[in-house]
Order: sequence, then structure tokens, then C-alpha cells
Amino acid sequence: MKLKKKTYIVSLICVLTIGVQAQDVRDNTEQIIADIYEQVSEDAETEIDFTSLYEDLIELAENPVNLNNTNKEELEKLQFLSDYQIQNILYYLYKCTPLNSIYELQLIDGLDMTDIRHMLPFVSIGECESKFQKIYMRDLMRYGKNELYMRFDRGLETKEGYRYLPEEDKETSNQNSKKYLGDPFYSYLKYRFHFRNRIQAGYTAEKDAGEQFWGNQHKGYDFYSAYAELKNFGKMKTLVIGDYRANFGQGLVMRTDFSMGKSAYVLQVNPRSGGLKKYSSTNESSFFRGGGITFKLGKTDLTAFYSNKMLDGDTINGSFPTILRDGLHRTNDNLKTKHTVNEQVLGGNISFTHSWFQVGATLVHINLDKSLTPEKNIYNRFYFSGNKQTAGSINYRFRWQKLNFSGETAIMDNYSLATVNSLNFSPVSRVGLVALYRYFSKDYDALYANTFSETSRVNNESGMYIGAEVKPVKFWKLSAYIDSYRFGWPKFGIYAPSIGKDMLIQADYAPKRNVAMLWRFKLEEKSHNFTDTLSTMPVVLSQPKWQARYQLNYSFGRFKFKNQLDVNGFSDGVNTPGYGFSALQDVSYSFLQVPLTLDLRLHIFDAQNFENRIYTYEKDVLYAFSIPMAYGQGTRYYLNMRYDVSRNLSLWIKLAQTVYADDRTTISSSNEEIQGNRKTDFRFLLKWKF
Amino acid sequence: MKKICFALLSATCLINNINAQIAPVVPSSSSIADASVAVENDWSAFRNTASLAYIDHIELSMQYENHSMIREMSWKSAQAGLNAKYFNIGLSFSYFGYSLYNEMIAGVGFARNFSDKFSMGLQFNYYTAYFSAGEESRYRGALFPQAGISSHILPRLTIGFQAFNPFQAIIKTENSQKRIPTIYSIGTNYEFSKNLVWLTQIDKEVSSDFRFATGFEYTMLRQLTVKLGAYGSDYLVPSIGFGLHLDKLHFNLNGELHPLLGLNTLANLKYRF
Repeated sequence: MKLKKKTYIVSLICVLTIGVQAQDVRDNTEQIIADIYEQVSEDAETEIDFTSLYEDLIELAENPVNLNNTNKEELEKLQFLSDYQIQNILYYLYKCTPLNSIYELQLIDGLDMTDIRHMLPFVSIGECESKFQKIYMRDLMRYGKNELYMRFDRGLETKEGYRYLPEEDKETSNQNSKKYLGDPFYSYLKYRFHFRNRIQAGYTAEKDAGEQFWGNQHKGYDFYSAYAELKNFGKMKTLVIGDYRANFGQGLVMRTDFSMGKSAYVLQVNPRSGGLKKYSSTNESSFFRGGGITFKLGKTDLTAFYSNKMLDGDTINGSFPTILRDGLHRTNDNLKTKHTVNEQVLGGNISFTHSWFQVGATLVHINLDKSLTPEKNIYNRFYFSGNKQTAGSINYRFRWQKLNFSGETAIMDNYSLATVNSLNFSPVSRVGLVALYRYFSKDYDALYANTFSETSRVNNESGMYIGAEVKPVKFWKLSAYIDSYRFGWPKFGIYAPSIGKDMLIQADYAPKRNVAMLWRFKLEEKSHNFTDTLSTMPVVLSQPKWQARYQLNYSFGRFKFKNQLDVNGFSDGVNTPGYGFSALQDVSYSFLQVPLTLDLRLHIFDAQNFENRIYTYEKDVLYAFSIPMAYGQGTRYYLNMRYDVSRNLSLWIKLAQTVYADDRTTISSSNEEIQGNRKTDFRFLLKWKF
Repeated sequence: MKKICFALLSATCLINNINAQIAPVVPSSSSIADASVAVENDWSAFRNTASLAYIDHIELSMQYENHSMIREMSWKSAQAGLNAKYFNIGLSFSYFGYSLYNEMIAGVGFARNFSDKFSMGLQFNYYTAYFSAGEESRYRGALFPQAGISSHILPRLTIGFQAFNPFQAIIKTENSQKRIPTIYSIGTNYEFSKNLVWLTQIDKEVSSDFRFATGFEYTMLRQLTVKLGAYGSDYLVPSIGFGLHLDKLHFNLNGELHPLLGLNTLANLKYRF
């Protein structure tokens, strides 16, 4: 009977998933990123670097996880899986290895068809071969893959920063000195070598638009990066040399990767640790430069790493107020702040993993050659100040019955504490629940902390998050979370202790394999300074913002369509509430005869107040992430094209234009100002595999 | 004469503002509350381009639309649809205004039906406006596209989308520029049964408020359809209409009662060969 049921399910899934194998991995990956990206970007104070997440998924697609020979770390790279789903997969594998067919996944508790469809491009069923197979030079030469990427971007309208005035007097000369030194091209060059996922090496050179490529102030690219990574050589689990990232525990002490936080994936609240890994992005700040090694000694992982790199800062008399992380060196003033501070980081981690529990400890020491001294203000009174910082933490994870408990508790050298703890479980396969509590004391301010929190800075916050995912009936999935938090000390823009809350509810309906739609409602109530007042005391008001979205994805043959409607409302607590609206239509088509894929979007928006701005994810050239902010009244449209010239040579072109209809005569300000109401962007990427 | 001109222009501006929706150039469709973007069996050239794909015979239609019982606030339009092997072709023309100020739009559209699963249409419109105040070149014009998609996403549910002038083409005179409306429409058509459909639609002109529209069309006899609906922007406007289907001849008459501006009427005559 059991066998009959298994056979039936396997056959059913075979039928349902015909064609899914051929599904474009890139589409799948992009959809996952889009789901996370928009929501996180909305609240982010700086641009988020998704390259690592994207690369992880693309690499997994090229080297799928062998389910008969995998571990938690590998499965954690599948960001769309929740912790309890990973635990359930591992538990099933422990009981039923080897799997005979990938379709057995359906028999695992907590995995539905949507999850399996997401997983399919990234997993495989193979032999239980050793991960430590010997590598021969001839294999390296024969099966190693080389890739070269070249990208160019350019805005077609001339920005104010490139308009030099005829130098007639001191004033015009002064104005010219503040303009961009370089040309308006953004470009990068990337080389990457990889042999399976065991040997990787790469080199990146990048310049931003406006940075000088060859002139009297600067010669060559503005940013260079290189790395080499070796995995699973004897007891050496990982070795990284050059530029790399480090992630341990829940990110209270050390996390240079992106942390997911609150999103429509309501159960994914725990940052995945991942340890050491290569850095191949073009972001100029979130990485380490030096080396690190992880040894695997039985069930214990031992890691040590060291970094020595230069940071940007506006230094005066041996101190600087803030670390500049934008990596832009376009003007004379920017260049004066480039690489002015030396940072050394020394750290280590030890982790012990057992079948039902894991414990680890992390210790990191940071040394700056100049003192970080933020300009004194009420909100940053407890920010880190000085040139030395040490932070340590203990992270833990236990599984008992269906309960998964995980967390991390950290302490800094100023004896400030931070802790984040979560409990997730799935009482029945159709229901997943998670609760997370975090507390970061006001003087806890670890420089490389990045974990689940309301703001990007891990300090001065306590809160409780509860999320649930329920599959009540066939085709339907309901996801919801609530998060209530408190800032015990003033924050930037909130000059008094304050509280806030967030809630999200989303219904997903996928009645057919080619049709999926969702309804999402999000409400956020957060305090902010009310500035239009003459009061000497800060006036802080609760400012609610709600957002609603309807999204429909469907496909017919080689056509893919997407419709999306967004509406939001924001009240500053005093004036009449403002509203924002956005609607878009996407059409994608992959030609049968020609290796050409086209993505077209038409988008209209009306968000007259900045608080009503709307973020929408756009398809883009490979490894580029575009989430333009729709603010004002206007339309935006783009054409994104991928053409495979040959098996080894592919190119991407994107042309996008925003046209404002709110009678504005200029776009943006300062050096970025454009005359007129149109902004056009052009992108070109070339990928050569050899 | 000047007073008359001024009065007419003021009336046009006032009515357009109060209607707070789509600027004059675009004539309405004969669907109830103008919720036609997902309607596939009644092609309206400027409202649901993709529906052109579903005509299976040559068809001709003429339409007269009037707002607020003011003769100058009327649209006269005509369209012709030709079915062909790979894609259908549509020709359309509309005139709005009076001798001192008028707007014309002429379009040629192409649409294709993809296995009855979805259809796509693309239309190129040439818009001209006549400015009596200008000394030279009183006619000014611009070319712009219009694109639409209509898809059967579920057996009873069709979703439609249309973008009219998505690139925000404008016309310029010596002293000023006139915007041609940029309108995005998205809507649904749900079939309760073969003879009862429920239409919904949202229109957004880029610098105006939304327009929500919904309505029911009930074909009670083979020859008679009764329509009830409403749309809202600043004001809620109830709509009523009926359609007569006499073999190849189809006649639609719709009326809307604007709470401030009074009665709007539309009459459409269509012949399908």
C-alpha cells in the first residue's frame, strides 16, 4: 500500500513537473530575489548587495546539490527554504537515503509543489560519492570553467556633474572643482574560474559613472578585487585568500552577507551562517581582504581569519566621523576621503554540530588606525567610538521533536549585550510557525553585525516577531507576520524613545501550473520626528503606512506575463494622508528559432509624496539588480534583451526610460541633476565562457 | 465671438476636470461603464486593442458620444476591422470638438490571437489638434503607440491590459505644449454563465486620479443585452445601457448620469459581415 502510494505520488509529480526541469533557472532565481528584494530595499538605508545571494543560486544551478550527499550548509543556500523545511529534508534523508527520484521530495513534511518547483533547478539525485575526491591537474584543465564578464552602463541624458562651466572667475572655477572628474560610463570587468564548487578564483575591476579612468587624478579602475577559494581538501574545509566574506551564528557579531529580515518569506528569519566564502561582488565595502581557513575536525569546525584593508573616511586630526561605504570617488572631495583609514580584523569561530544540536562561539577584534568619532548628536550618543573593538558571541541551535530553537547571544568589550532567539516548528505539515525575540542594548554596536532587526544598525532595539504560514486548502497559501518593537533610546529621525509595529498578510493562489497570483497587505506604524513645529522639545508622532499589492503571473508557451497593482497610504499624523499608486505589465518571450529572450515592461506610477514611493523589481542584465523607486507622477518602460551569440558568448542589453508627467523641469539634484522630464538608462553586459 | 469661444473652452476644461478622468481625445466603448479592456467579443479600437484579434468577419461601426448634453462636447468615431490569416487589421478614426478647437485621432492596429489563450494588439495612432489661436501651423500632431493584451487565465476569467500613449508623446505649439493623455487600463471579465458577465476595470491617466469601473452585462434574449454598472473617480456615476443584436447588426445605447454635469449618452452601430 505504501509503495503504491509512493508510486502514485511520484507519477503525479512527474506529470505535473514536466517542463519544469527546462524552466529557466535565471527566472526562478530572479523571482526569489524579487520576492525578498523589494521589501527589504524599502526599509534599507543603504543599497543592498544581492550579488552573493544571486551567485550562490546560479552556482547551485550549475552544480546542483546532490540530495544523497548533502548537509545543512548546502541546503541553507536555498534561501527560499525555511529552517524547519531544511530540518525535515535532512531528517527524511537520514531515514530514507538514498533517494531514488527527485520526486520523493513530495513525501517530505512541509514541502509543497511551489517549494519543490523552486528547488528543482538546484538539486539532483546522485551517488553518495565522497566530497573529498582527489583532484587531478588534467581534470582541472579539462573541466574547469572560465568566465569573463564586461559591463557598461550609461545614462543617456547629461547630468549636471559633467557640465563644466567656462572658467571666467573664481566662482566658476570653484563650481567646476566640485564636478565629476571622469566620464559618465559605469563599467566593470570580471574574470571567474571554477572547478565544480571546490576551486574558485576570480578578479574584478570596476569604475562607477563619474569616476576618472585615466587622468591626472586617477589612473585605471577605481576598485580592484581578487579571490581564491578552495573547499574540502582533507581536513581543510575552506580556504579563502584575497577578498572574502564571513558569516557566523545569527550575525550578531559577524555577517557581511545580506540578511533577509522581514519579507513575504515569513518563516525565514534566521540568517544563514555559511562561514567563509569568496567575495566577487563590486560593492566596495562589505568584505574582508586577507585570508581565512576553516578546518573540519570530526564534528567540530574551527575557523580563523584575518583582514587588512583600507576604508574611506573624512579624516581630520586622526579621527573620522563615519565610514563611507558608497564607494563613489567621483569628485576631488570624494578622492580626498578614499582609503584614508586602515582596518585590521582578526577573528575566529568554533562550531560543534551534532545530529540534534549545534553550538558555536565567535570572537572578533577590529583595529582602526584612526579613531572613529561620530559627530555628537542625541541619537548617536551610544554609537561605537574609538579605534578598537572586540565582540564575542555564542550561537546555538537545538531540535527537539518538531521544535527548532536557535539563537545567538553576544557581548562587546564595553559589556553591552545583544541576543536574538527564535523558535520555529511545524505542528502539522500544512502549518509553519515562528517566533523571534531580539534585544540589542543601546550601546551594543558591533561594526560587522547584521541580523534580524527593524533597522540596518544592530543596536538600541528590542522586539518580538511572530510569523505563520498556513496551507488551508489546495492551491492556497496564507502567510502572515506581526512584529512589535521598541527603541529605548532616540534613533536617527526619532528624537525620543519610541515603539513601532509591522504586520503583513499575504494570500497566494496557484490554481494551475502556469497561473499564480497573490494579494498582499502590509501595515507599518513607526514613530518619526514631526518637523513642522516650533516646539523646542522634539515632537514625535506615530506615522502609519499601509501598502497593498495584487500580483498575477501567468505563462502560455514561450510567453510569460506579469501584472502588478500597488496602492499605499501614508499619514504623517497631522496633514491629510497621501496615496501612491502603481500598475505594470510585463511580457517576456523566448524565441524558438533564435537564442533570444526579450523582457518588456510598461509601468505607470503616481506617488506624489516621498513617503508614498513604490519600489518595483525590474529584470536586468545578469548580476545587476534594479529596483527603481517610483516617486512622482509618470511612466517607466524598459526593454531587456538576452542574446546567445554562441554557446560560449552571451550578451544582455537593457534600455529603460522614465518620463515624469508632474510638470517637473529637472530630475534629481546637485551633480546628478538632469534637465527635462526624461531619464534614460542603457546597460550592456557581455559574458564569455571558455 | 470671443465670449462664445471663452465659454466653450471654459466648459470643456470644467467638464474635463470634473470628469477627472481621461482627456477628450479618447472615445468611450460601448461596454457598460466603459469597462471594456477585458471584453473580447466587442472590439473598440481605442479601448481594447487586443480584442481586434477575435473578430472573425469584417466589421464596421460608427459611434456618437455626447457629454452633458452640450453639442460641442461630442465625439464622432468610426472603425473598421478586417480579419486576416496571421493577424487582424483595424482602422479607426475619432473627432472631438468644434470649429475653434478640435482633436482628431486616426489609428491603424494589428492584433493576433494566440490559440484562443491570449491575444496581443498594437495600434499606431496619429493625433492632431487644431488651435485657432495660432497664426501658423494651426494643426499640430504626434504619432504614438497603443498596446493591449487579453488573456484567459482561468476558464471563466479573462484579464485585459492596455496602455494608450505609454511613452507620453506630446504636441508642441509655438508657445505651449499639449499633453496627449497616457492611460493604463487593467480589467477583468468574469463569466458567471454564457449570458452573464461581470466586468471590472481600473484606468489611470498619468496625471489624473484613478477611475474604477464595474458593471454587469446580461444577455437576456439572443437579441437583447441589458447592462448596469457604475464608475467612480471624484464622483460616482451610475450607468445603464442596452444592446440590440439583429443578426449582423448590433446597436448599443448607453447612458450615464453624472451627479454634477448631467447626462452622458453613447450610441454605437456595428455591422458584422
